[in-house]
Amino acid sequence: MNIYTLAKYPFLKKSKEFVKKERVSTEEILHDPLYERARDMGIQRVNDALEKGVVGDYTMLDETDALMTIFSYPVARMIVASIESDYLRNRYSLAETKRIYLNLKKEDKDFIVDTAKEFGMDIADGLKIYFTEYLKNAPTWSEKWKLVNMPLQKGLVELKKAELARLLQENLRNRMHAELLRLYPPPEIKKVFSEDITRIRNVLQRKEAEGKVDMGKASISKFPPCMRQLLAAVQSGINVPHVGRFAIVTFLNSIGMETDEILHLFSKSPDYDEERTRYQIEHITGKISGTEYNTPSCSSIKTWGICPVEKMDSLCKRIKHPLSYYRYKWRNKK
Amino acid sequence: MNDFLKKRFQSYYINPQISFPERFPRREYAFLFFGMGQMARHISFKTRDEILTKLRRRVPSHVYYSSAYYERPDAPTMREKGWMGADLIFDLDADHLPGAEKMSYEGMLMAVKKELKKLLSFLVDDFGFGEENLSLYFSGGRGYHCHVNHPKVFYLGSQERREIIDYITGRGLDPKSLFREKVVEIKRYGERKVPLTRLEMPKPDEPGWHGRVSRAVTDIIKELRMDGKEKGIEKLKGYGLSAHKAEKIIDGLSDARVKRIEEGLLDQFSEIRGLFLRSAIEKSAVSLSTGKPDEPVTADVKRLIRLPGSLHGKTGLKVQGIKRDEIDEFDPLNDAVVFGEKPVKLRITKPLKMRMKGENFNLNLGETEVPEYLAVLLVARGMATV
Repeated sequence: MNIYTLAKYPFLKKSKEFVKKERVSTEEILHDPLYERARDMGIQRVNDALEKGVVGDYTMLDETDALMTIFSYPVARMIVASIESDYLRNRYSLAETKRIYLNLKKEDKDFIVDTAKEFGMDIADGLKIYFTEYLKNAPTWSEKWKLVNMPLQKGLVELKKAELARLLQENLRNRMHAELLRLYPPPEIKKVFSEDITRIRNVLQRKEAEGKVDMGKASISKFPPCMRQLLAAVQSGINVPHVGRFAIVTFLNSIGMETDEILHLFSKSPDYDEERTRYQIEHITGKISGTEYNTPSCSSIKTWGICPVEKMDSLCKRIKHPLSYYRYKWRNKK
Repeated sequence: MNDFLKKRFQSYYINPQISFPERFPRREYAFLFFGMGQMARHISFKTRDEILTKLRRRVPSHVYYSSAYYERPDAPTMREKGWMGADLIFDLDADHLPGAEKMSYEGMLMAVKKELKKLLSFLVDDFGFGEENLSLYFSGGRGYHCHVNHPKVFYLGSQERREIIDYITGRGLDPKSLFREKVVEIKRYGERKVPLTRLEMPKPDEPGWHGRVSRAVTDIIKELRMDGKEKGIEKLKGYGLSAHKAEKIIDGLSDARVKRIEEGLLDQFSEIRGLFLRSAIEKSAVSLSTGKPDEPVTADVKRLIRLPGSLHGKTGLKVQGIKRDEIDEFDPLNDAVVFGEKPVKLRITKPLKMRMKGENFNLNLGETEVPEYLAVLLVARGMATV
């Protein structure tokens, strides 16, 4: 594997081995003028994640460029880890793996398969994957990816090259996020990048504040625990299953929020895609489908596994529908 | 009345034929007792003898165990229990079938058997489970259970289990991916170019739902032709088509056309794509529920199921294991009966005719004498008093 490929996929075992062989210390990466480019690019990676939602591919004209790109990856991870924001960890792992996906799908089949195998995915001949592994990684909240629409035979789902790359993206995203949680960056990171870290923190704070404003007539304090939890999950970019998105959208719609207002709340999600989200919301609220779906009852929410049983309060025990909870709270406030 | 049933159940539980679930001590057990509404839950047993003793001493009317296994199965809350994994369970019950309320008990069980076979075809052909991973049970009531025991499914969360249910019920099937519109020719009208499209059906041997829908469409068309014109039109009208359209379709089913459809070309049938899709799904999908959005049983990672070999308190029949190749012959009113022939005097409160243990019974209101096995069933179902 050449150095340019390693730079494109800095998380591969081979890339990590390469870095080790270079025998560059963290000390050097953080202070040596030689690695200033790597440090700048590291910040760039985080900025891209925050602003564009996908990390860019940096032009590599020669081996030095590639080398700097490789080292910029650990720098970016250390910055993200030291900021300790779950939103940022999510957003960064998503942005980094989105870039990986865009590159991966251009690679040949063997490369994708080998990479998938390196990360523990069991691929049978002819790009087939066992259905439990498929379900673990596929974005099944989108109709196209539902298992029912996939060619499943004898337990194996047959994939196209790009589809495997997409599953791999999800697998890597989960790994990256878990790694960022475990990573303890050297304390001097905060000194070396103090300006950037302050700036990023401000951006994060602003984003958080935006999320809280303007619930309009709706008051989140009157939401039942399940809806509060779903909304928080959507906004912090936790992968909310389809039924969860469905439940929160129908709920927000029922309490009188407009599509644009709902969209605004969802826009805080790290994987926000306005067009697709608008389509989903308008489908559920009946603007395009003609059927306006009702908010599911408590028993449905329980069977779907999205009722936070441990957060249930005394009011929950008396009602059978999330909307009753909300109405009751309103009546008793007045 | 409860005394009568309890005594009979007690005689069975002296030497019951229980088949214990794997990871026996990690399961939660639950009981209902005669004359008591409250379910006793969060019970665990270290040895099989312990539960047998409990059955003999307390004689429950219903016995359940958890599909999930836990670190501490007897802890009172889910959080303290510590979920470790769960079997995948499918619960097929007559309650879920459309029109079940009009069927006889035998009729209901036949209808559920059909669903069971469809389910097995999904689990074996599509999901690739082997004989050794599947256990089938008559529920003791009005349905069948299928337990999937496979190390790869233990850790599936409820979201992933839901995807499996959606698969076998055909929910979320995308019509556009099933019937593909294919451009066959570009027509020119002066400056304008108009693509001529044809609707292509998946091939019958394609994996997954594509092949299933294809085979079902072919079957439906064959049935329509067999039915003859009038019946065929009625059938199509039942799917919501106008009489005129239905007639047009039936008339259009020439030998040549049917052959073309079998080869995968639906051409003129584009207007009824939805119809074919709906009826093909109806034909192939498993009825797990009446179309309500929640099928609680399978997606639930912590539900309770009847213990195989225990008795169902509302029938007195046994939760009976069935081999896959014995589904057709299985007759619950013979094969799940545990009680004997000893005559019992009782008063019939609801007249009925039925067949049990190979004998026909025609029971009128008032006092009569029947074998013990029938007496238990009638009393348990509230159709007679002792």
